Amino acid sequence: MSDARPILYLDGVSVSFDGFRAIDNLSLVLEKGEMRAIIGPNGAGKTTMMDIITGKTKPDEGEVFFDGDIDLTRHDEADIAMLGIGRKFQKPTVFESHTVEDNLLLALKGKRSAVKALFDRRSPRQAERLGHILETIRLSARRHDLAAGLSHGQKQWLEIGMLLAQDPKLLLVDEPVAGMTDAETGETARLLKEIAQTHSVIVVEHDMQFVRELGVKVTCLHEGSVLSEGTLDFVSADQRVVEVYLGR
Amino acid sequence: MMIVRALADGFTWRVAAAVLVLVAAAIVVPVLNLSVPAGSALHVPTYAVTLFGKYLTYALLALALDLVWGYCGILSLGHGAFFALGGYAMGMYLMRQIGSRGVYGNPILPDFMVFLNWKQLPWFWYGFDHFWVAAIMVLAVPGLLAFVFGWFAFRSRVTGVYLSIITQAMTYALLLAFFRNDMGFGGNNGLTDFKDIIGFDIQSDETRAALFAASALTLALGVVLVAFFVKSKYGKLMIAVRDAESRTRFLGWRPENVKLFAFTASAVMAGIAGALYVPQVGIINPSEFAPANSIEVVIWTAVGGRATVVGPIIGALVVNWGKSWFTGAFPEFWLFALGGLFILVTLFLPKGIVGTLVEGWTARRARRASATAEKDVEPESFGKDEELRAEAAE
Amino acid sequence: MFLLRSALLLLAVLLAPISAVHADEAATRAAVAKFGRAMSFSDVEKVVKEVAATGDPAAVRALAALADGNLYARQPDGAVFVVKEKSDGFDLFDPLTGKAEGSAGKDAMVKVKVKNSLRRLIGDAVGNLTLAARDPAVRLAAATTMLNSPDASTIEALDAAIAKETDAAVRRRMEAARASAVLVSDRSEAEKEAAIDLLGARGDRDTLSLLLSYEATAKGPLKDRAASAVSDMRDVLAWWGVAQNAWYGISLGSVLLLAAIGLAITFGVMGVINMAHGEMVMLGAYTTFVVQEIIRASFPGLFDWSLAIAVPLAFLVAGAVGLVIERGIIRFLYGRPLETLLATWGVSLILQQAVRTIFGPNNRDVGNPSWMSGEFDIGQLAITWNRLWIVLFALAVFTVLLYVFNRTSWGLHMRAVTQNRRMASSMGIRTPWVDALTFALGSGIAGIAGVALSQIDNVSPNLGQSYIVDSFMVVVFGGVGNLWGTLVGAFSLGILNKFLEPYAGAVLGKILILVLIILFIQKRPRGLFAQKGRAVEA
Repeated sequence: MSDARPILYLDGVSVSFDGFRAIDNLSLVLEKGEMRAIIGPNGAGKTTMMDIITGKTKPDEGEVFFDGDIDLTRHDEADIAMLGIGRKFQKPTVFESHTVEDNLLLALKGKRSAVKALFDRRSPRQAERLGHILETIRLSARRHDLAAGLSHGQKQWLEIGMLLAQDPKLLLVDEPVAGMTDAETGETARLLKEIAQTHSVIVVEHDMQFVRELGVKVTCLHEGSVLSEGTLDFVSADQRVVEVYLGR
Repeated sequence: MMIVRALADGFTWRVAAAVLVLVAAAIVVPVLNLSVPAGSALHVPTYAVTLFGKYLTYALLALALDLVWGYCGILSLGHGAFFALGGYAMGMYLMRQIGSRGVYGNPILPDFMVFLNWKQLPWFWYGFDHFWVAAIMVLAVPGLLAFVFGWFAFRSRVTGVYLSIITQAMTYALLLAFFRNDMGFGGNNGLTDFKDIIGFDIQSDETRAALFAASALTLALGVVLVAFFVKSKYGKLMIAVRDAESRTRFLGWRPENVKLFAFTASAVMAGIAGALYVPQVGIINPSEFAPANSIEVVIWTAVGGRATVVGPIIGALVVNWGKSWFTGAFPEFWLFALGGLFILVTLFLPKGIVGTLVEGWTARRARRASATAEKDVEPESFGKDEELRAEAAE
Repeated sequence: MFLLRSALLLLAVLLAPISAVHADEAATRAAVAKFGRAMSFSDVEKVVKEVAATGDPAAVRALAALADGNLYARQPDGAVFVVKEKSDGFDLFDPLTGKAEGSAGKDAMVKVKVKNSLRRLIGDAVGNLTLAARDPAVRLAAATTMLNSPDASTIEALDAAIAKETDAAVRRRMEAARASAVLVSDRSEAEKEAAIDLLGARGDRDTLSLLLSYEATAKGPLKDRAASAVSDMRDVLAWWGVAQNAWYGISLGSVLLLAAIGLAITFGVMGVINMAHGEMVMLGAYTTFVVQEIIRASFPGLFDWSLAIAVPLAFLVAGAVGLVIERGIIRFLYGRPLETLLATWGVSLILQQAVRTIFGPNNRDVGNPSWMSGEFDIGQLAITWNRLWIVLFALAVFTVLLYVFNRTSWGLHMRAVTQNRRMASSMGIRTPWVDALTFALGSGIAGIAGVALSQIDNVSPNLGQSYIVDSFMVVVFGGVGNLWGTLVGAFSLGILNKFLEPYAGAVLGKILILVLIILFIQKRPRGLFAQKGRAVEA
């Protein structure tokens, strides 16, 4: 860990859809091991930014580097996932017709060859790791149930579990506590902080209470670029942020 | 050893029963046909052997389609093309076996080439006088076409209805191509008037019974293979791609490769089905490429139940038996019946016969389990479970 | 030379009835009657010259019959008839009008004598007479015949006719005929050079072959001049060929546009492919058939209006069937596009069989109204009226749809649903109604397409099937959610098809296009005019 290069480096990134600038000259730097919360009104470009980082959308201009010198704009989604970026979607997306366990199994770190998967057998080490993750996300009792049967909050946790199984260097977590009870939200904050001890994390969230619980640096996006950046108190005191987002 | 264990893993009792029935049929039907005298009530007439042999090849085709449509979500409207290509490869071998017994008596050139005044065999007919060459081509030609087509289509993320349409365009293009005389496959009339296959008279009862047995055993093998696919991690991957393709991509998998493998394997299966079909019906012509044929395969699979291993087989047998009966009894109404089947199955039986039955059993077992386990588990969680599952199924 | 004469004679016989009524019949009749008394060849020659001198094209029939040896005199009255031989004698026809005049035994008839030298004289006379015909169409036809089979002996007759000619088009044709005659005559080089230039400037295919055959036999500078004229003409003709192909392409494109645009609308708005779309086209064609049958049986005078009546009816019939399909089947399959595809395929099978049961499996005869029949030329371009009307009709339908889409509130709703269904729904747009009406509209447009297709294609239960794959290709190529995409897609595929055809043949051309589209879709999986943005699920 001698090098101090940032894990994620965005500079001057822009992308537009049919004339609409979804991301406008966005720059953002995330250090290794850092957790960052991103806030901003709807349409600020939060999800589009994640699309760019994960290769779903190609930027019209600008630089996107991962882990120092890996140019993400030259890779596609699967490549980027294998490079070590995991993503949890805004709307929880799990494989509904698979069991909880199988969902995690498909996410588990390892070779991603379709043909080899034909003869792939679960090793004892993998089984152990699965059990561990199931413990962490508190779904051990439901490991053989179909994911379709989980509650909304449980699906969110399962997806976080899938992120853990991937064991990425950088986690992008889009609205992890939407639709959760207060207790669940607190649990999630605790879980994310735990994860952040060993990983770099970007969390997009509207829930200010949750962001406060995380207690990390906050970036506020507006109309596709950074409006304000700093501690939550600093950002919430920023007059422009109050105007466009927090309201008064 | 690992493979054996993997195979054993794939067996549910339904799959095991299907394999057992098919193997039994492969033995019993030929015996009843060849050894039981014609007058006996147990005698199976040769025409029935051939008819059901044909149905079994259809079942294999439906199973192949099920692999891509049921498990991988690729609705191919062009699987008839792979079937026909396998059939043509076999037909070319059978054509070369005719030798000088053709109408024009040319030892090398098939009749239609003599008729077209061709002087020598086109290069792509070389080697088809050997059974093993033809057998390789039965696998290779459909497989290669599927691989190339799929490589282009899946890589550029053509999905859903778009993909269905271009698979239909593919078989339509082949239909037009094979109608041309200068393609060298007999044009309009196709390949027919076969005499024998690996030295046996293709018309004899023994050969027909053997072809039936071969079809049943190949189908049994297909069932084992598909069951193995489905049970493996790759099978889970197929379903994952079917249900949430982009999610698998963000997990680092390449859905295009998952699909390409399934599509190619399925095309090879369809090719084998075609190769078994041709010697039993005695002809292969371009009409096998007709888009309508390929769509009919879809309905067999849908009726039986897609995303089940046994369903497509039952569907293919039921629909084709119905077709034979209908076209005999009310030829006018067959298309009404088939059209109605398409509508009714999609509206009222989306899971097909087998899928619906399985769902019923599972629900009943779940109810019984919840009734016995009521004291241990809070009942509301199960109730909620059912509700959510029903919601997801919608 | 013999060819020219027979061609002119044939032409004369065919056209004679048209012009016969115009001339001074009595004088001509008197002259022709003299054949009855002409006993020697020299007598006959005298009478031929006398008949020719009348200048009445009506005499052509008699002269033609004379050359063919079918002009006979009845004994004993000497009346002259054109005859047709039968087993026991002759059928008699009036030598001027061709009206049947009963029959006569073999003994009663004496053939008017004719020999080859006389036949040449007769041919010239016929040529002169037709060149002098009152109807410009007859003169034009005569000049065309002479142009295509040049004969040096016609130069004087043509000179005389050109001097008198008042119709500019006919005169130009006569001058060309004269030029082609000059080439085969023994006139001076200067005159021949002028003739080559004159012919070279015409630039049609017939003249080209004329000059080609001249070039093959000519020598010296005349050969060079002819060769350069030929190569110039070839260049010009090549461009006309391109134009003709483009026209065929536009014509095919307009048919594809009509067939595909309804499909594109339903696919764009609802995301479903209607496999029964082709059958909607077929229903429209059969509606036209029924309308015409009723008109034929009850109101024959209205036949020219049959299409104008059929268009709204076809729209209603197909639209109503579409509405039933949407309300009865498709709305239950919302969100399952692949199942919708299968169910509508089932509908298509039922509709096909229903039509087969009601109307029979064979082609039904749908007629062209008079204003849709025939063709006209622009330069070297042959344009049939029915194709032209269909192109105009397709563009009109497109314009109307464009208006509906961009200027009406319903169109606004449709576009909103196309772009973001959920958002549109939460904005209070009743998406189920938009779906139902869109589907009915798409089907109705298909019905209209059927009316147009009934004019150029066989009306059979399989009509729809033959267009469905092509229509899909247009939609896939053009993309959805934008009518212009369909327009561009239809015309580019139509034109591409027609330009590939001469090189690859019709079938191979079609295969090539399918392959090209499959490759194209690699680059632009959502078609030419795809929507972009986050709302589009990858």
